[in-house]
Amino acid sequence: MSGLSVPETAQHPSLGQDPRAEPQTGSTDWGMMGRQLWGVLRIELRYSLFSRRFLAVAFLALAPVGLLILWALTPVAKEIAGGGSTQAMSMAAWIYAGYLSTSVFLSALILFMSLFRGDILQRSLHYYFLSPVRRQILVLGKFLAAWIAGAVTFATSTALIYLLCFLPLGLSGLSRHLFQGPGLGHLMIYAGISVLAIGGYGCIFLLAGLFLRNPVVAGVLIFGWESINFFLPALLKKLSVIFYLQSFYPVPPPQELFAIVAEPISPWLTVPGLLLFMVALLALASWRAQRMEINYGED
Amino acid sequence: MTMTTSNQPTTELSTPDRIAAHQSIVFDNVSKFYGEVLGVNRVTLTLPPGITGLVGPNGSGKTTLMNLMTGLLRPTDGTIRVLGESPSAGQHLFRHLGYCTQFDAFPAGMTGYQFIYSFLRVHGLAHTEADSLTWQALERVNLKDAAKRRVEGYSKGMRQRARLAQAISHQPKVLVLDEPLNGLDPMARAEVIALFQQLAAEGCHIIISSHILHEVDMISDQVVLLSSGYVVADGDVSGMRTEIHEHPIQVLMRCDKPSLVASRLFEHDFVVEASLHDDRRGLMIRTREADRFYGLLNSIIVDNDIDVETVTVADGDVNAVYKYLIGNEGEGR
Ligand SMILES: Nc1ncnc2c1ncn2[C@@H]1O[C@H](COP(=O)(O)OP(=O)(O)OP(=O)(O)O)[C@@H](O)[C@H]1O
Ligand SMILES: [Mg+2]
Repeated sequence: MSGLSVPETAQHPSLGQDPRAEPQTGSTDWGMMGRQLWGVLRIELRYSLFSRRFLAVAFLALAPVGLLILWALTPVAKEIAGGGSTQAMSMAAWIYAGYLSTSVFLSALILFMSLFRGDILQRSLHYYFLSPVRRQILVLGKFLAAWIAGAVTFATSTALIYLLCFLPLGLSGLSRHLFQGPGLGHLMIYAGISVLAIGGYGCIFLLAGLFLRNPVVAGVLIFGWESINFFLPALLKKLSVIFYLQSFYPVPPPQELFAIVAEPISPWLTVPGLLLFMVALLALASWRAQRMEINYGED
Repeated sequence: MTMTTSNQPTTELSTPDRIAAHQSIVFDNVSKFYGEVLGVNRVTLTLPPGITGLVGPNGSGKTTLMNLMTGLLRPTDGTIRVLGESPSAGQHLFRHLGYCTQFDAFPAGMTGYQFIYSFLRVHGLAHTEADSLTWQALERVNLKDAAKRRVEGYSKGMRQRARLAQAISHQPKVLVLDEPLNGLDPMARAEVIALFQQLAAEGCHIIISSHILHEVDMISDQVVLLSSGYVVADGDVSGMRTEIHEHPIQVLMRCDKPSLVASRLFEHDFVVEASLHDDRRGLMIRTREADRFYGLLNSIIVDNDIDVETVTVADGDVNAVYKYLIGNEGEGR
């Protein structure tokens, strides 16, 4: 340390000390940080929702819906309807598993990987870095904005997909399944899984975007990791998102039966587990963002 | 007139100096390398309140120095204090610091108003306050009429002013401006200069960079001359201006292999003289071309892994450097 004596106010950067920064009411920090978080969210929500990025996400979310509508008109669909709601349920599980590992996964990549890289590419990250805002808040604000955008989109499209899987049963069959059978519960669980998946994968891609330049490399690496999850030892399994998500499936999808049976865990443990996993990744991302320098020229 | 004595540590300060340190921007032996590439080398500087001009040709390290004092870059070596705080230590300093960078870039899709307003909200200000500060800033740079138009549709000069407005919007005490006059027409230039003077009169620290000396020396209280990553001179402008006459620059250097450095330097004809000190730890060099000399010196230092203690311009040579820089302002780019 240099011998400079620094006054208390300067040594302990506290958000409450600016004359403009709110009247001092003891613990003003939280209020200030809340407003700053909202400040970041305002900007980032606009990016997440009104950008070309989001068009790609919307396409990924809605393409399966379109396909399912076409499918509902085919004779195969009629056959499934003949099998009743049980068969439709396992088909829904199967379709959902595919949807999760493609549409949801890729959308998380698109939404989150560019949270920092996008700002670097358009050379505007320094506006944040020159603001009196903690990097943790910046990371959290960016994350939440993308999560909100993704959650709303995918909760909706997941619900649509689920409903379409039961459409061949006819409207009366559908409403019987929803309101007299387990349908509504399952629908909400699937929508919940999508929301958690976007958040979980989102954390990973946010972090990846801080370390890796190339989104394709990150996507392939993480996709590979998630795909081999069934074969991993128990401890490593816990370091993937799919591990947590699978435990929520209301109906096991056919090809993944054995994985579920191998490791039955309670949702009461998995939700906190997944959230903890996300917090850890966000903490790591904040640490990384804290050390970042502005060096646009390098790209 | 003061000269940079490059290597005097500012660590042991008397009480008045300490107080001064809280009102100043202090570089203590700061170096920044981009990998192998030198950004700035062993800069020791104190920038007091008022307007400081940072002058040097392209690639001399102006932006690097500014990014360092605003925490966008971290020094490879040395320490920086802005109003007594380290720019990379916390976010608190940014309530008092505004930086208009050289990057002509904006967050996508925003109007001029939204651009300034949005980042005031990131500061944590409530709507009414952010709104009124935004209009004040737009007013000061004369951009109110275009406030509700998208920045993408602005002219270069308007974008420059929008970024300036953003940098001053939170009424900082320290304002760092990287080539703020670039792209402005003479009218806007005069207005912006008047704004800087007004802000300085209000007690704001202003640091302005330019590769054109006469552009800033008229408004600066002091000027720092940079060349190839070294501070070649700093001092108050009136003193510098009085005696301009040509003679070779004399550089004193202390390092671990002075004879090697001397022999390498001597291979070039723009080095007039290189003589070793008796203690074999230093050498004196006289050269006619500061820029080529510093470029050469950097590569010799890097190539031979030389441990440099100090590099200083000997007193009396400021004007030659100054002259050199004026003379090259046109071709300097
Ligand atoms: N991101 C970077 N990576 C590698 N080298 C860099 C980087 N940024 C700057 N440099 C080098 O550091 C030196 C100083 O550059 P800097 O941008 O600070 O100069 P400058 O005085 O601002 O120039 P200009 O008038 O062109 O803006 C140059 O040699 C430059 O090539
Ligand atoms: Mg520059």
